Formats: sequence, C-alpha cells, structure tokens
Amino acid sequence: MLIRDSSYEEAVSAWAAHLRAGGTTPWAAWEAVDAADRGRYLPGAQQLELLRRLNQAGHPSAALADSVLAASAAGRGRPDLELAGAVPESAFGPAPVDPAALPAGELVRVAASLLADQVADAGLPEPEVRRRASWWRRGYRLVGDPELADPLRDQLVARGRPPGGREPRVLVVGSDLATMTAHAWTHRAFTEGVNAWREWLRQLQERREVPARADLLAVCRAWERRVGKARVHVVLDLGAVPRLAGDRRSLAAPEPLAGEAGELARRVGSVLGLLVLPDARETLLTTRLRPRVEQAARSLPRTSALVVPPEARDWVEGAAERMREGIKRAGYAVHGDLDDLVPRWSAPAGTGGGPAPQATLDLAVRVLLDERADVGRTA
Amino acid sequence: MTRKVILHVGTPKTGTSYLQHVLFKNKRLLGEHGILYPADRFDAHFLAALDLMRLPWGGLEREAVGAWDRLAAEVRDWGGTTAVISHEILAGASRSQVGRALESLGHQRDGSGVEVHLVLSVRDLVRQIPAEWQENVKHRSGMSYARFLARITDPARNSRIASWFWSVQEVPEILDRWGADLPPERIHLVTVPSPGGAPDLLWKRFSQAFGLEGIDLVLEDERVNPSLGVPETALIRRINRSANRVLEPADYRPLVRELLAHQTLSRRVLSPRLALPPAQVPWVAEREAAFVAEIERRGYDVVGDLDDLRGNPTLHPYVDPDKPRERDVAGAAVDAIKALLLENARMRGEEARLQAELDETRHALSRSYLRPSYRAREKAVKGLARSRVGRGLLGAYRLARGRSSRSA
Repeated sequence: MLIRDSSYEEAVSAWAAHLRAGGTTPWAAWEAVDAADRGRYLPGAQQLELLRRLNQAGHPSAALADSVLAASAAGRGRPDLELAGAVPESAFGPAPVDPAALPAGELVRVAASLLADQVADAGLPEPEVRRRASWWRRGYRLVGDPELADPLRDQLVARGRPPGGREPRVLVVGSDLATMTAHAWTHRAFTEGVNAWREWLRQLQERREVPARADLLAVCRAWERRVGKARVHVVLDLGAVPRLAGDRRSLAAPEPLAGEAGELARRVGSVLGLLVLPDARETLLTTRLRPRVEQAARSLPRTSALVVPPEARDWVEGAAERMREGIKRAGYAVHGDLDDLVPRWSAPAGTGGGPAPQATLDLAVRVLLDERADVGRTA
Repeated sequence: MTRKVILHVGTPKTGTSYLQHVLFKNKRLLGEHGILYPADRFDAHFLAALDLMRLPWGGLEREAVGAWDRLAAEVRDWGGTTAVISHEILAGASRSQVGRALESLGHQRDGSGVEVHLVLSVRDLVRQIPAEWQENVKHRSGMSYARFLARITDPARNSRIASWFWSVQEVPEILDRWGADLPPERIHLVTVPSPGGAPDLLWKRFSQAFGLEGIDLVLEDERVNPSLGVPETALIRRINRSANRVLEPADYRPLVRELLAHQTLSRRVLSPRLALPPAQVPWVAEREAAFVAEIERRGYDVVGDLDDLRGNPTLHPYVDPDKPRERDVAGAAVDAIKALLLENARMRGEEARLQAELDETRHALSRSYLRPSYRAREKAVKGLARSRVGRGLLGAYRLARGRSSRSA
C-alpha cells in the first residue's frame, strides 16, 4: 500500500524516464505525464536532480543513470525528498522541494555514495613489483610532506630509481607550513579519513598540534635516530631533489590538488569505510579514486587551493617559526631557505572557508562521468 | 527456508534494547521453537543497519562491512519458520534502502516470497522529544535543549538533527517508507504504555506482536538503557562542550557514556526528570493527534492502545535543563568525580599488575639471552649471514629442520 497520490507517481516516473534517456528539463518546467515503468520505489529529488546535472555535463551511461536513480544519499542528512508541485502537501515527512534548488551538499551525498560503489567494484589493483635499487646508485629516501614526496618519488621510480639502496640519504621535503597543513589534510582525505577542513584545523589548534605529516622537525628527528644526523637533509628547494637522489634530470613539480578534491575524497572515503576494510579503503582511494579526481579537477576552473582561515594564521605562523628554529638548532643539512617554512599569506584574510560545495559537486559530476576511465584501469 | 520474517525497525527509546536483550538471552530456546534471532550479541543488528544505511558511526564501520548481507543470508538459510531482525535506527532507512532490505530477505512485491511482518514500537512525543535530546547529549552533543527544540520544530527540517529526529520519530512517514510494499495487516504497531501501567505490559505487547506468547522466556530484570535527570544531563552536556575536541570517540564511549552516564549518574533517580516545555505542549499534542488519526485511517494492526500516543505533559514538572539548579549539577559532578577516581584507582592497580608481569617477562627473556649457548648460536648465525655461502648453508639447515620461515 503506497500512501501517495498515483498521479504523483506517474509524473515522477515520467520525469525519471526522461532523465534516464538523457533529458535535462528541470522539474519546474516538466509538464508531460507519459506512462512510464516505475521501479520498486520512486527515486527522491536528490537522485533525480543529480542525474539531470550529469546529463547537463555529459552523457552518462545507462548503467550509471540506473545506479543514480537507485542510490541513497549516504550518511546523516535529509532523507529522499519528494518533488514539489505534483502532490498535495502531506501532513507528514519533509516538505517537497524543487530539486533545482537543493543545496549542492545534498547532491554530493548521493554522488559520494555512487563513487564509493564504483571504486569498491573496481577492486584492488595488482600489487606493483618494485625493482631493487642498483647497488652502485646513490641510495635515497623521500619523506616529509606526502603530497610533495609521493609524486617526486613516483617519477624517480619510473626512471628506475626506487628508494632505498645502500646508506640512503634521507630527503625530508616540505614547503611553508600552511601549504603542508593543507597537504596533510588532503592526504588524510585520500587515506585514513579526516574531519571537515575547518573542524580539523580547529581541533589541531586546540590541541596545539602540528599535523604529523607536516611536522618536518619530528620527521627529521625520527630519521636521525635511525640513520644518524649526517644523512638527514631538509629540502625546501624541490629542484634540488633529483641531484640529492643521484639523478641528473629535473623532475616535474607536484601539481597542487584543489581543496574540493580532498573534500570529495573525504566524503567518498567515509562511505567506502562501510563497504571495504580500512587497508583496502586506503588503497582504493589512492589508486582508483585519486587518478580520476586529479584528471577531473584539472578541467574544472572553479576549484581552488585550500587556504588557512584567518583565525588559524597566527597559530600556523608560530608553529612554523618554532619548526624553523628547531631545524636550525639541530643542524640538519638544509637545501633551500629555512625562512620559506613560515607562510606568506597571499590570499586575503577574508578567504579560507574551505572547499566550496558547488565546486565539489561539479567535480563529483565530472568524476562520475569519467566512469570509463576507471573501467579501463581495472582491466 | 524461512517462511516469515519479523522486521522490527524502531522507533528509538521504546524499549528496543530490552527486547533485544531478551531475544539474545533466549536465542537457543527460540531456536527450539523455530524462531531465529541471528545475533552474536544483543545489539548485533546495529552493525547490519549501519551497513544497510551507509551510516558512519564513531569508527564502527570496520565491523559493519558486509554485515547486512551476512544477516540477510543467515535469515534466508534458516531451517525454521521465523526469523527476527530488530534495530531501532532502521526506522531512518530511505526508500531505496528499504527496497534493498526487503529484496535481500526474499520478499517479492507480488507477495510470493517470504512473508515480512513489520513491527514498529511507538511512544508519545511528549516523552520522545526530551529522550531524543538526552540521547544526543549521550552521543557527545553539546547542543542546548532550547536549540534542539528550535531545530526539530523548524518546518524546513534542514538541519541534521531535525532530519534524523523526524526520520526515526514521524510514525506515518516511517511507515510510508517501510510499509509501501506490505499489506496493512502485516504492519504491527506496538504502543509503549503510558507511565504508571503494569511493568510487564510493554513486554506482553512485544510478545504478542512477535508471536512469542506461550514460550517461557527468561526476562531481563534491569532497564538496559536508563535515563538521566535534568542536572545529570546538563552535566554531561557541559563535559561534552569542554572535552569533546580532546577526547577520542573510542575513549568517550566507555568513560562518559558508560561509566558516567549509564553506571553513575542514572542512579540519581530523585533528580527532576526531563520534560517538555509548556510552550511546546499544544504543538506536540497536535502532532500526536495527527499521528493517531492517520494510523487509524490506514488500518494497521495496533498492539496496545493508540491513546498511549497522546502523552501526558503534566507528568513531570518542567525544569529547564539549560538553566539547572547549580547545586544539583554540583552534586552530580561530585558523583562523577568519585566514579572517575575509583575507575582511575582500578586502572592504576591494573597498570601495576601488568608492569609486574612485563618486568617478570623481560627478566626471563634476558636470562635466556644470557645463556652461553644462545650467545654462541647468535654469533654463528650472524657470521654465516654475512656471506653468500653462509646464507646458503643457513637456508639448507632451516630446510633440514623443516622450518621455511626466516629468523626474525
């Protein structure tokens, strides 16, 4: 028994069929009530509107369209909503909505759920067989800010220079602490998961903690205990990395990832945590989701880098100054200018609200449309 | 194969934990009567619900992975007649999640599959509203009662608090989602009796709705999810506001929710009880009347009395938990400090015992390292490992001994 007006069902089913066929007519302009098969349940406004946005941005496959209509918004938040205008307002349940007016965050909830399904279905990649470092080459380890160290290391590995080797130099790479803090958040979003940007920053500030992955001094001390001070090098000039790692050719500078990319990964990761175990979750986020997000983010002009908000800037500056003094006092070899650890705020003090919901939705739509890219990688 | 599934989907704060405890405690006896309660702990279906609804919940995700499919498979494979699934957060499932749940249990829309009976236990909003706020506070919320009320009375229901509250408390709407594919005679509403009734009345109603009458079940003696009074809830809220950001969820649950709220502060039964502010009474009475009228209209099977859904707002005098008597809060705080001291003393004792055990183990280990034969063997292995020939000899020796793993 469905407590709902049957003409409402017909209208929604017809609009759903229109969207499934690639239509982009908004609900507010929808008039036709053609007979259309309806599934086991009617999709909510969020699912239907997300499919419309996908149709506006590209050509989703029939399978993707069906999975959007069958999806649920993950996590806590508004339930599946009814569409305004087609049904007499019920005395119960949330008020019907115009789907076009839904907040972007509501659509991202559905998109994150779908992306989590996609990356879980893609499965774990084959483990990479790493070559051993040749004994005559200079050994190195690249540590520090993972958003800088990982892409540089990947390039060196691609050139046949994997990390390790005999008595390796430990290159602790970094940049200013504000950038490294943003990198630490992004990296966590793509690995073990993290709170929203501002909430995470506020917690760090209250605990007076520098994110572990941005704390170059702590990294240096840990490596000093393992290999001795002489082999630990702080590298703030990334151009020096190839030379220190024993390679003559220069390396491409790591591309910064927009805050919205981290936000999308954070949302997908939180759903993925309910689909696979934590180790697999990290691997899937890094190897399946991240390449798709990076590719989609490049083509979106509206995404932007994370900015430390004004209320946290004094704290970041103070921590950066302490880090600079600590490294200087400890006497580690430094490549680059230690003063570069202290941020110079180029963004106006009024910015720093974190990832923009609309830009996050645009990115999610692009990534969803890029479904074939993932199929290709899976094969 | 299971012929009948009893699906109890809520609502929260209606004696569901008590019911689940009884079902779990009597699992074997129920099995002898052909009834399956597929659980390895009383609230095992919580994880399945998290999985079905894709709800992250304080780090429990790891345990929830695949839990719903495992539960559904166990239900489908049961050799008896009936299986029972019960968890109150299921009330908040979306239409597609409900569709997936029913399908996975073997239910067909044409009625040819397994016979699903939906049970929803319900209680008046006069008691549910303060109880839900208190539950929020026991889950780390620092939100004031006034703000909570403002959120749930906002018609837009845009906030997370409002959308969750109504998704698990608005009875007709829950039944729209869960009951769309079920005939009304298979939808059973169990009403929680008004205060002052016979203590076992709720259990009798559950028993009737679940078809457990005639089975001599062992019942629980104590309430399993006791409530807090006004100063105690105010204290927990203040603790949340102060410690939330520095106390990890994994520590919050045993220390604040269990030790302080459930084991300590809930014993202070003489404190004023949480109630509905007088200004909210007319609006709540109107909602309750609308629920009752709609349920009557739809013709569900009601176990109990629908009038139980009309709450009594004068049962407890209203005391504002946002402005509690400081003397009462101080009294609750002293009890809390005492409990923490005792727990700290117990942990110090445990730490000392473990330290002694560790010292003893270290001592035994170093005695074994000091034996001359160990030193000689260690020296020989190190020496052999330096050369390729030596490593080959070591490998051959290990192979001959039947151990293929390398030494640590």
